[in-house]
Amino acid sequence: MKRIVLWVLSTISTVVVLFGYHTSTSSVMATSREGTFSGSLSGQTTSGSAAGSAAGSASGSGSTTGGSAPPSDSGSTDTSGSSSASSSTVTGDVAQTRWGPVQVQLDVSGSTITDVTILQYPDSNGRDVEIASYSLPQLIQETLDAQGDSISMVSGATYTSQGYLQSLQSALDQAGL
Amino acid sequence: MATTQTPAPAPAAPHARAVRRLGVRARHDARTRLAAGSALWLSLLLVTWWWVTGGGIRDLGGWGSGLESVGRITGLTSAVLLLAQVVLMARVPVLERAFGQDELARIHRIVGFTSFNLMLAHIVTITWGYAGGSPTSTPRTLWDLVVNYPGMLLATAATVCLVMVVVTSIRAARRRLRYESWHLLHLYAYLGVGLAIPHQLWTGADFTSSTGRQVFWWSAWIAAAGSVLLWRVGLPLWRNLRHDLRVAAVVPEGDGTVSVHVTGRALHRLPVEAGQFFTWRFGGRSGRSRANPYSLSAAPDGRSLRITVQDVGDGSAAAAGLTVGSRAWVEGPYGRLSPRARTRHKVLMIGAGVGITPLRALAEGLDYAPGEALVLYRTSSAPIFVDELHELAQRRGLLVWGLTGRRRAPDSWLGSGVEAPTDLAALTSWVPDVAERDVFVCGPRPWTELVLRDLRGAGVPEQHIHLENFGW
Repeated sequence: MKRIVLWVLSTISTVVVLFGYHTSTSSVMATSREGTFSGSLSGQTTSGSAAGSAAGSASGSGSTTGGSAPPSDSGSTDTSGSSSASSSTVTGDVAQTRWGPVQVQLDVSGSTITDVTILQYPDSNGRDVEIASYSLPQLIQETLDAQGDSISMVSGATYTSQGYLQSLQSALDQAGL
Repeated sequence: MATTQTPAPAPAAPHARAVRRLGVRARHDARTRLAAGSALWLSLLLVTWWWVTGGGIRDLGGWGSGLESVGRITGLTSAVLLLAQVVLMARVPVLERAFGQDELARIHRIVGFTSFNLMLAHIVTITWGYAGGSPTSTPRTLWDLVVNYPGMLLATAATVCLVMVVVTSIRAARRRLRYESWHLLHLYAYLGVGLAIPHQLWTGADFTSSTGRQVFWWSAWIAAAGSVLLWRVGLPLWRNLRHDLRVAAVVPEGDGTVSVHVTGRALHRLPVEAGQFFTWRFGGRSGRSRANPYSLSAAPDGRSLRITVQDVGDGSAAAAGLTVGSRAWVEGPYGRLSPRARTRHKVLMIGAGVGITPLRALAEGLDYAPGEALVLYRTSSAPIFVDELHELAQRRGLLVWGLTGRRRAPDSWLGSGVEAPTDLAALTSWVPDVAERDVFVCGPRPWTELVLRDLRGAGVPEQHIHLENFGW
């Protein structure tokens, strides 16, 4: 009887300790990188910003010539008069994928894509966020490098890549590139 | 072979009513079994369908996505079977009546092992798939999954629980464990099932991505947990409190066996039949946390219950030291070695050793005309219930043949002194119409396997064979 009680107590204790771990009581991904993904040409850096930081954190450095940063909100078009070439922001259509929507926003200066911002991406569970956090920076960088849609899919992120490409193409169409 | 009985004329029994209803309950049980099997099949089909509509088959095209897809379907089916095997052991009355506990335990074992193997496949393929199909980065991905993904540490603990339960249930390991230790370890399966749920909800999108899925899974979890609480815990508790069973007498039957008579409140309201068994715990002695399954050795008469116990294992011997008035805690009644299973007029009962006890109760509880029921009683030591069987032979026209002496060969279920070249020849010469009878068999498993072999050889249809093994 004593042994059984000891067994039960140690089992309960173990379970309590297990529930003390942060992944055991929260459905939110532990290393969640929820937030926005964007990349700009000037800095040649592509990053996912952590949750809580403003959407405009990366796009602020996106202008090529002037000092004026485009507003970070997702207005469909916006021109900035201070730069020599006309700078505009175009927003692609929402591409529905199996895991959720993908939407791309481009800052275009003349015929140059200066900044890519992801407005929406699948983030309904930890796996989606995980995939987004490694695939989107790659896709953004490829877009900036290629200055168009001739980019390759990221392996392991087929759906996200397809959605990205679809939204990107509609944005490029709008920008007339 | 020693024959210890003679048929005696008896008044035509008033069993016309019983004969008319013969097989009604057995047919009902057959339908229940079919319905239960169909329900499990449809559940598996439903989750597979959801997997297919979620692109499960299309994903098989790629290597990494294919592994993930396999991981999803194995995880989903494993989860369904995991809950099924909990329900199978939850003592659900409708399943107990339709299958009998022996059969439920057998199915539970198959379903449980299948679920476990699918779970292992799930772990391997989903980790490998998340690693993009690369074997070298799989260990890192596994670590990442366990440490960072929601509910995954609990799922890891659940895996540990289930591995422990399965390892101790592999036959070689199980034989080395005391039944009680094995059973206590087996309770960790409940913990395993419970700890697996958070990762199914939070990381497994297939469980929650539509209302239909959420309804299905929550109903399944609630049904499984409810079954256990209601029938495995609640019902026995309520029955014991209601009937307040007490030892009324302990009577030696000779040859190391004792009969324990138990009385209680409103026993006529206890739905038990001849041939069924309870799991017994007796208060006021050491090791009362241990439960032993004992069949009733007399047809229940609504006032008392009787079991007859031989010194076969843990706790049995202590029955002789029971004091009158001490409390008996029971779970049950269980078992299908009862009039419920009967479909034929003629009955053959074959028992060995203490396996005669439920047959002794059946011989009293079954309806039969004189000469319709035959007992083959195999014992290598002194037989018990000699007087009682003789009385049944006198009053009811029961036929009783004793098969005494040492076993005549290692692969024989008969005693020495049988002249027939094979056991099968002996059986068919003694009982030429064996194929037309319901056959009730009770004994230790190696022996009953030999009996079953010859019953099948003699052409007895499977649905006419009703088996209870003892020992574990």
